[in-house]
Amino acid sequence: MKRSLVGATIVCLIFLPVFLSGPYYTHVFILTMVNIVLAASLRLINLSGQMSLAHGGMMTIGAYTSALLVMKAGLSFWAAMPISGLATALVAYIIGYPFVRLKGIYFSIVTIFFSEVVVLTAQQWQSLTQGAAGIFGIPRPDPVSLFGILHADFSSKVDFYYLALVLMLLCLLILYAVEKSRIGMILRGVQQADSLAESVGIDTTGFKVLAFSVGSFFPGVLGAFYSHYISAINPDAFAFLFTIYILIYMTVGGDGRFLGPILGAAVLTILPEVSRPLKAFEPFVFAAVLIAVIFFVPEGMVGLPKMLKRAKPSSKEGAAHA
Amino acid sequence: MLEIEGLSKFFGGLEAVSSVDMRVNAGEKLGLIGPNGAGKTTFFNLVSGTLKPTKGKVTFEGRDITGRSPHYIAGKGIVRTFQGINIFPDFTVLENVVLSCHLKPGVGLFETVLRTGRSRRKERAILDRSRAILDLVGLDKLADASAQSLAHGHKRILGIAVALAAEPKLLLLDEPLGGMNASEVSETMALIDRLWDQGITILLIEHNMRATMNLCRRIVVLNFGRKIAEGTPDEIKANPDVIRAYLGAGAHAA
Repeated sequence: MKRSLVGATIVCLIFLPVFLSGPYYTHVFILTMVNIVLAASLRLINLSGQMSLAHGGMMTIGAYTSALLVMKAGLSFWAAMPISGLATALVAYIIGYPFVRLKGIYFSIVTIFFSEVVVLTAQQWQSLTQGAAGIFGIPRPDPVSLFGILHADFSSKVDFYYLALVLMLLCLLILYAVEKSRIGMILRGVQQADSLAESVGIDTTGFKVLAFSVGSFFPGVLGAFYSHYISAINPDAFAFLFTIYILIYMTVGGDGRFLGPILGAAVLTILPEVSRPLKAFEPFVFAAVLIAVIFFVPEGMVGLPKMLKRAKPSSKEGAAHA
Repeated sequence: MLEIEGLSKFFGGLEAVSSVDMRVNAGEKLGLIGPNGAGKTTFFNLVSGTLKPTKGKVTFEGRDITGRSPHYIAGKGIVRTFQGINIFPDFTVLENVVLSCHLKPGVGLFETVLRTGRSRRKERAILDRSRAILDLVGLDKLADASAQSLAHGHKRILGIAVALAAEPKLLLLDEPLGGMNASEVSETMALIDRLWDQGITILLIEHNMRATMNLCRRIVVLNFGRKIAEGTPDEIKANPDVIRAYLGAGAHAA
């Protein structure tokens, strides 16, 4: 059942561009898929009990790395994108060791500082990054053709839509495989009782760094995708509020299950686009939704069916007593 | 097996553990007793790597392990349990043990992501071993229960099962009988004996004096961070320093 539902969703997504009226809605769905990967990868870090707020910074690193590799080093986008992901993961790995010594909120605070350092570096390192103005005219990905039938030259948003779809499916597949493997189990163990995990021989520091590093690979890749899609990048494109949004997607969707961040990102990205007034007050709406979810559905949107099921029998019981 | 020389830990001016020398021989059951605040748990933390000693040396099977990280020391074969409850509460009983079978039979992590045939065989081996451990400690019928739903005594036993999953050569038990009723105490004592029969060396901290005297052939007594006595249960019972430490009478002056 679960499998066929996933399959049906993928088929729908493949045919969706046919029904989308105009490039604007195609753009919205591309954004949605980017946000889904960001929220799902944030959950991987969260699994180890650490709340990273460096996702925006990591995305910036990926975006600049790819733009510079293509424009200054002459690499193909298809090589630059994975390299950007790996470079971002490497940065996370290096800063991970000192960072994970801090626990709870203190870890989150240094990750915010880190994101700010990334923004400032991009602003000040004029010779490399062109400063606060950012980089413009980032070239489109080189044309590709699959099996000699499907051609994509990325002159239209629909080509980017399919690239985003393939990226999203690949990223979600990797994230799912990692979570269902022994690594995912260890990370959850570390979250529940890290000194106990350490006492049975698990290198808890190493696994926290691993989660941070692997979880930062994805914003790196998506940053690369995004800069070539928009064809521009500036230092504060993915600033603090951007990171907070990812956190909201994850929390509203429910961080306890794999599907949670996916659902949260999809609903909260598409919903404001449907109604203009909602979009104008987006930060307020998001804050209100977040507070409502925390109070009434602590498990997030994925917890709703369970809550409703639990509510039903109790109301029957109530009727019987009456 | 385990040799400790001049082990000390100072918290500011407080000497929590002060130049303790001790030897644990392979295959013995050694008891570590002492009044509250004597430094027993601090001593465990120093041996298992949770705390770094201020001074002194810990040698295990000829290897200097002083100040190494807890997971490294666990990997060398010293595994400790914790005072109070220490389990993975959101996992089932079986998952608690499966997760803790981390050290052997070393599953390559990226193999498990790719789910190669080899990793599946290893996962199955881990599952078999975990079930065997649950059989041994008597939690086999509760394998699929959520760990946090267990009764207190069962949680304590699960804590021991988790430690066993790490394949200890030397098992440090920190008050395994704490908060247990009489029948749980005798079951746990029988379990500790079974583990010892299987060749695991036991170092036991326990407040239950009768249990310690019954279980251990040799006992070390700590008081105010210092070793004040060492010997057979009968010698310890007759030792005037130990009696003074437990009964108070001018112990500070002594």
